[in-house]
Amino acid sequence: MSDSDDPFEPRRPGTDPERESDGRGYLSVDEIPETAPARELDWATRLANATPSLPRLLKYAIAITVAVLWIVPFLGLFMASLRPLNEIIQGWWHLEGMTLTLENYQQAWTYRTAPMRRALINTLIVTVPAVLVVMLLGAMAAYPFARFEFPLKTTLFFLILLVMAAPPELVAMGNYNTLREVGLFDTYMGLILVHIGWGLGWVVLFLRNYLLGIPKELEEAARIDGASRYQIFRTIILPLSTPALVSVAVIQFTWVWNAFFFPLVFMRSPELYLAPQVLPLMRGRIQVEWGLVAAGSVMTMIVPVLLFLTLERYYKQGMVAAVTD
Amino acid sequence: MGESTVRQQVMTSITMDGVSKYFDGGETVANYRLNLEVDDGEFLVILGPSGCGKTTALRLVAGLEEPSEGDIYFDDERVNRWSPSERNVAMVFQNYALYPHMSVRENIAYPLKVRGIPPDERDRRIEEVTELLHIEGQIGKRPAALSGGQRQRVALARAIVREPSVFLLDEPLSNLDAKLRQEMRSELKRLQDELGITTIYVTHNQEEAMSMADTVVVMNRGTIQQISPPEELYSRPRTEWVARFIGSPPMNLFEGERRNGSIAIGEAGTVDLESVAGVRGIDATSTSTSTSASASASLSDDLSLGVRPEDLFLSSERPTSGNALEGTVDTVEPLGEYTLVNVAVDDRLVKVKVGDADVTRGEEVWLTFDDEDAYLYDENGELVTQAPSPQPTEGR
Repeated sequence: MSDSDDPFEPRRPGTDPERESDGRGYLSVDEIPETAPARELDWATRLANATPSLPRLLKYAIAITVAVLWIVPFLGLFMASLRPLNEIIQGWWHLEGMTLTLENYQQAWTYRTAPMRRALINTLIVTVPAVLVVMLLGAMAAYPFARFEFPLKTTLFFLILLVMAAPPELVAMGNYNTLREVGLFDTYMGLILVHIGWGLGWVVLFLRNYLLGIPKELEEAARIDGASRYQIFRTIILPLSTPALVSVAVIQFTWVWNAFFFPLVFMRSPELYLAPQVLPLMRGRIQVEWGLVAAGSVMTMIVPVLLFLTLERYYKQGMVAAVTD
Repeated sequence: MGESTVRQQVMTSITMDGVSKYFDGGETVANYRLNLEVDDGEFLVILGPSGCGKTTALRLVAGLEEPSEGDIYFDDERVNRWSPSERNVAMVFQNYALYPHMSVRENIAYPLKVRGIPPDERDRRIEEVTELLHIEGQIGKRPAALSGGQRQRVALARAIVREPSVFLLDEPLSNLDAKLRQEMRSELKRLQDELGITTIYVTHNQEEAMSMADTVVVMNRGTIQQISPPEELYSRPRTEWVARFIGSPPMNLFEGERRNGSIAIGEAGTVDLESVAGVRGIDATSTSTSTSASASASLSDDLSLGVRPEDLFLSSERPTSGNALEGTVDTVEPLGEYTLVNVAVDDRLVKVKVGDADVTRGEEVWLTFDDEDAYLYDENGELVTQAPSPQPTEGR
């Protein structure tokens, strides 16, 4: 900035005398800074800018309260899992004389009737195939609903929605009988099939919405390039659906992993029990072993949470795209 | 596959024979009875306003749509039900349709890959085509990291790399800025000249059409208005509609009424019909009041007189001879290269292109033009050409 550029000297607009003849009033391209020039402010102004207004303050207060209400039970569970039983019984929020120990975790891990170690592996055995198959089948079913014209398309789609609305408790009896008849009762295969069946409905709906947002031209370009329908699905549609598929994976994983009702109905042998089934067993006989239950819960919970955290970025993309279209 | 490699070597001519396309179970008529021939190695441009069915026509040739009626031939083979890959067409889409999850290299390699061309051959061709289009440096990038012009080149590269027999372009330049558009225009033209591939190019931009085409097809409302080389399109617009569509600004049309040997343009004056028509070899001597058989098929009473803005001259005094129409200057638009003067003639604005204007708003002026620059359109909006009466009519 030149010295003559005095802001207190009024200047009529459009009458820059220099600019008119020799162009000295114009800026050269080199003078444009890379980034916006930093404004120098004194601390009082900065403080004033940073202080929220009263309505804003109220909003913050409400938000913080809600957040605390949400987090307190988890905090309690976590604390309980780390402290001996006599301390928990007085209330986990008493902090004086606190002993932190991993004993609850050790006990739960090797619990005599149903060790958490085995239960977690069992749960994984059921969850992984139930998720992967639903992703693949769901995408294959959603693609025609999003792109092709075929007879009864709307009716079939409506049927899928209808099935989603049915309560699992109602259908469970039928599933139970079927599984008994085909000899899949009390097997992981049976439980996996039931999970796949229940998952497909929402997955098809979710992925169809997402696929509708993929530009048709991409497929037309691929057709012109000489790709077959199957090649288009495999090389264009599936890779482009990654965010949606990740969302499906995370949600379905959480759902299958935490499922209590289906394992309860369809799994009978204790050595095949899944983690959510094992938790109630840990209550103990005479006295409720709160610490043990808490440790088991944390161990069960941690797996979907970790999965969510690692895939969060894709998960958000997929959710946004599938819901907005 | 073996068959298509043979076909690659040979260029292809395309014929559309009475092709119509209806959508929504007949509710929408996208194309109606298109008859079109594209020669081997020809650069054909389909020009028309948006929604005129030009893109549908292109998609019909591509094989993305099947005609509802009529036939499409590639050389002598009927290809109505052939898939795009069987037709061996390549297409560039308006928004390029690059695969966003693949690198530039993978994008260009895709058509070769799905056709099972071995990797060595693929590499060789990719190298060749990226060199041709000057995108060697971009090969590892994703489409999202490229500028509009670069994306355009990648889309072209993907289309050219498999050596198609027909090259289809759907408004390929419309997403580029003006400067880049001009650059790509000449580059496309050069490319087509070098490769000699039969090309159909769809655009709504008449400048693109005129500058690139061997033949221009003007379409309106799903049907073809005129097929001709660019120069002829300008010098002999077949209908009033084409006349209004081509040229910037488009042709002025004066609605007139035929009175004896002249055309009266409202209050603005009259034009001598005989001299205007005579230049084009039209027999204007027979009048419609005559009862002879030949006269009934002759010129109608309602005629339009068309003159292009660049063929009109302004004069502040009434000329002693020649064609002259009276008007009032409405607005003057200086555009640098020329000045556009809007003149109100008989309640209508007429555009006149002049070098520099020394007229002001409200001034009385006379518009003059030469006989050979005037076009006559009959009441159906068709150009009046040779003497119409003696010809055996087709029952129009």
